[in-house]
Amino acid sequence: MPQTLPDFSNSVKLKYVKLGYQYLVNHILYLLLVPIMVAILIEVLRLGPDEILNLWKSLHFDLVQILCSSFLIIFIATVYFMSKPRHVYLVDYACYKPPVTCRVPFATFMEHSRLILKNNPKSVEFQMRILERSGLGEETCLPPAIHYIPPTPTMEAARGEAELVIFSAMDSLLQKTGLKPKDIDILIVNCSLFSPTPSLSAMVINKYKLRSNIKSFNLSGMGCSAGLISIDLARDLLQVHPNSNAVVVSTEIITPNYYQGNERAMLLPNCLFRMGGAAILLSNRRRNRSRAKYRLVHVVRTHKGADDKAYRCVFEEEDKEGKVGISLSKDLMAIAGEALKSNITTIGPLVLPASEQLLFLMTLIGRKIFNPKWKPYIPDFKQAFEHFCIHAGGRAVIDELQKNLQLSAEQVEASRMTLHRFGNTSSSSLWYEMSYIEEKGRMKKGDRVWQIAFGSGFKCNSAVWKCNKTIKTTTDNPWSDCIDRYPVHIPEIVKL
Amino acid sequence: MGDQKSRVNVHSVLTQVSSRPSASDETYPLTRLDHAMGHHTIHVIFYYEKSPFGSFDMDPIRVTLSEVLSSYPPVTGRLTRDDAGNWAVKCNDAGVRVLRARVGITLDEWLRSADGNEERDLTVWEDMPEVPNTWSPFRIQLNDFEGGGVAIGLSCTHMHGDLTSLILLFKAFSEAHHGQAITFPPFFKPPAPPDRKFSVNNSKSTSYLEAKLQKQTPSVKMSTATFKFSDSVVKQCLSEIHDKCPDASPFDLLAALFWIRVVHLKGPKHDDHTHSLSLCVDFRRLLQEPLPYGYFGNALNFSLLSLNEEEMDCSMLGRVAELVHCHVSGLKEEEFWATLHWLDLQKEEGGKYAPPFAMYGPEFTCVSMEHMIIGDQPVMYSMNFDSAKPVHVSCHVGNAEGEGLILVMPSAEAGLARTVMVTLPEEETAKLCEDQSILHLKPTMLLRSI
Repeated sequence: MPQTLPDFSNSVKLKYVKLGYQYLVNHILYLLLVPIMVAILIEVLRLGPDEILNLWKSLHFDLVQILCSSFLIIFIATVYFMSKPRHVYLVDYACYKPPVTCRVPFATFMEHSRLILKNNPKSVEFQMRILERSGLGEETCLPPAIHYIPPTPTMEAARGEAELVIFSAMDSLLQKTGLKPKDIDILIVNCSLFSPTPSLSAMVINKYKLRSNIKSFNLSGMGCSAGLISIDLARDLLQVHPNSNAVVVSTEIITPNYYQGNERAMLLPNCLFRMGGAAILLSNRRRNRSRAKYRLVHVVRTHKGADDKAYRCVFEEEDKEGKVGISLSKDLMAIAGEALKSNITTIGPLVLPASEQLLFLMTLIGRKIFNPKWKPYIPDFKQAFEHFCIHAGGRAVIDELQKNLQLSAEQVEASRMTLHRFGNTSSSSLWYEMSYIEEKGRMKKGDRVWQIAFGSGFKCNSAVWKCNKTIKTTTDNPWSDCIDRYPVHIPEIVKL
Repeated sequence: MGDQKSRVNVHSVLTQVSSRPSASDETYPLTRLDHAMGHHTIHVIFYYEKSPFGSFDMDPIRVTLSEVLSSYPPVTGRLTRDDAGNWAVKCNDAGVRVLRARVGITLDEWLRSADGNEERDLTVWEDMPEVPNTWSPFRIQLNDFEGGGVAIGLSCTHMHGDLTSLILLFKAFSEAHHGQAITFPPFFKPPAPPDRKFSVNNSKSTSYLEAKLQKQTPSVKMSTATFKFSDSVVKQCLSEIHDKCPDASPFDLLAALFWIRVVHLKGPKHDDHTHSLSLCVDFRRLLQEPLPYGYFGNALNFSLLSLNEEEMDCSMLGRVAELVHCHVSGLKEEEFWATLHWLDLQKEEGGKYAPPFAMYGPEFTCVSMEHMIIGDQPVMYSMNFDSAKPVHVSCHVGNAEGEGLILVMPSAEAGLARTVMVTLPEEETAKLCEDQSILHLKPTMLLRSI
């Protein structure tokens, strides 16, 4: 008994010391400014008004000096404003909500699996074990072609799914923002596994009759992190083109990629990937500044493809029977951890407050010079961000990141609940998570959001957004009919 | 006729799920009567001039179907055995199987030229496998005809419900499609017997059941014919027998008529000299505490009406109709409870219900659907899609062997009009279609075997 009390009071003392230290270091400039201003004020009061007038008259200003000084000031100001990167605003975004006929309860999924893989009970058992531990709920959706026994993944069905998802998300976005199709200057569509000719971006241009001088891009093959790559591309384009609107459409088309063989490493994506899509409107127009939801602060991209193991860890190939599927290697989590470490090393100095950076630097110096056995200091990212959107790639990914970044359950709630309600929707999952946070009424003005996505390659991409205005809850979003049921407790294993 | 290739081509199979997840781990037990009906299957086919299903994959009508299925968790569940070894439905949302088929001719041509056996292809006839945990007991088959007509065939095991349940499920679907409130919402609580003792021994139904248990019938190739009798003809006929049977309903009349003619066709009996008619009547509204129509399960009773040979030979239609009428109106709820009690007594060790036996047959069985006419409107023809009533509704009962089966159902024409579907051994059906007493009533023949 007596032993615990001192520990407790120690930890409380430590907490206050830490708080004090953080306040001191983060507000050092203000803390230094106050005494200086006080000193000047005292000096001015001491001198008195007459003395000050005399001081003013002693400075001889002639016309040339005044003109040169003003030109210099104007010149410096112009260079500063011209070279400042344009602010990129996220005006609004819309996520796709699949119809209830596409719902896949666990029982239906397992039944189809048993009927299709009737000669491979071991593969069926494997799928069942994955599904039990996946963290998915009973309301995730697969496209209509997959509800057939056996599935009918024709190109027509794939195009049908693409049209349904992309056009619904676009219609919703156009309605929410009041954007006219003729005002879209840049269009970027990303869909990793389905890449027809003409491209999906051409499909959008055709449907909405967009302008003939539109800058359109279609990114394929870039995995689940392609959403943030598209945002990065849009940002770069918006630096070059003033006064423009960019629409980014992120989706994954499941129909052509449903693996129909029985190789275990390739059956995993069938259990996790689900239908979903999002359309985002980015703009650098000044008039959107007041109505935009977020401002894009940073995008940091890390690619570990130079390492062979990382390159092969998510690999699309044919199995022994010639059926194409995506093979996930066993060291996926380890590689993801490495990629994350690399990413946060880059993003840390950009976002962490001075107090954390100083601590990290001190620990680093200490480890190098004094004692290599010191524990490496993991910066507290909770200081830098209010909200976290971790790509809902799977339960293991979210658990790993929660552990590595020392996040609380509430901070990963958006990711876990998105995985439960929508499954792994690939590049659009980050937007479902943002929508969750907004619908819970947690997004306030000034809040900073960190979106992290992992993808094949192996890539880890981050985006940092700053909330521009407090966001009110709405009814036209995918969470509107079920947000009251969340958060829901997700058991470790769901008995099937 | 013969083994010609069926004109119905099933081209795809998919699963339709409900829109909301049901409470997990709920198991819905099946009653003793449900278990007793386990030998049979039921099939209902609704014919429409214009298919409401449009593009199919993304049609909003499928969303309505999903919504309706959410109100019927036992329909989307799977059969499982409970601790006692009896059947129960695990409400796991697995969904119903939907099959899509194409028929190469128009709807009108089909109703004229197809025979009763071919009509069977419009629904799914599948035996329950040994382990039914991935087998969908409910199946919907959508048959698209040339020119836009459709036949929607629903089928399920007789364990899950009777023809009334299946028809009202479809009605709920049509009402939901038009945004109307469901007239007969689903009700899943089985009827509980009142606290009275029932004498099992001298009940008519139970002795009849005992007899059924013993009999074995050889299976003969059966065929079906459909007769539609118009309102005016039935009215006229009823007035003709008015003196003998003042309160006859169209069912009494038609059951009597067909019984007399079938007995005549079959010829004299060798072993015993009584003619028996098994009557199947719905008990939902006959109980003291009436069950709502929406009760999803089996609520029917089989009872036997016997006449000896001499009486039958010289009997007039009026007399036989009177006997049928007295029998049906004399059915009391004690019969129903006595049947259930008897079924309880047949339980094996450990509470497992006895294996099912043929409930329809072996005698000539007549099924009454008079309860499906509520306030002069036939419920069976009230499921409208885009303001169009069904052109025709057919019902079939699977594994109904024995001497034959007749179903007296309402017609599209309201009032006293009736549609009679007769299943008999092949030669007898052919002879019945030529029978003068029946042809005298000028029936419209549909789906007859030629």
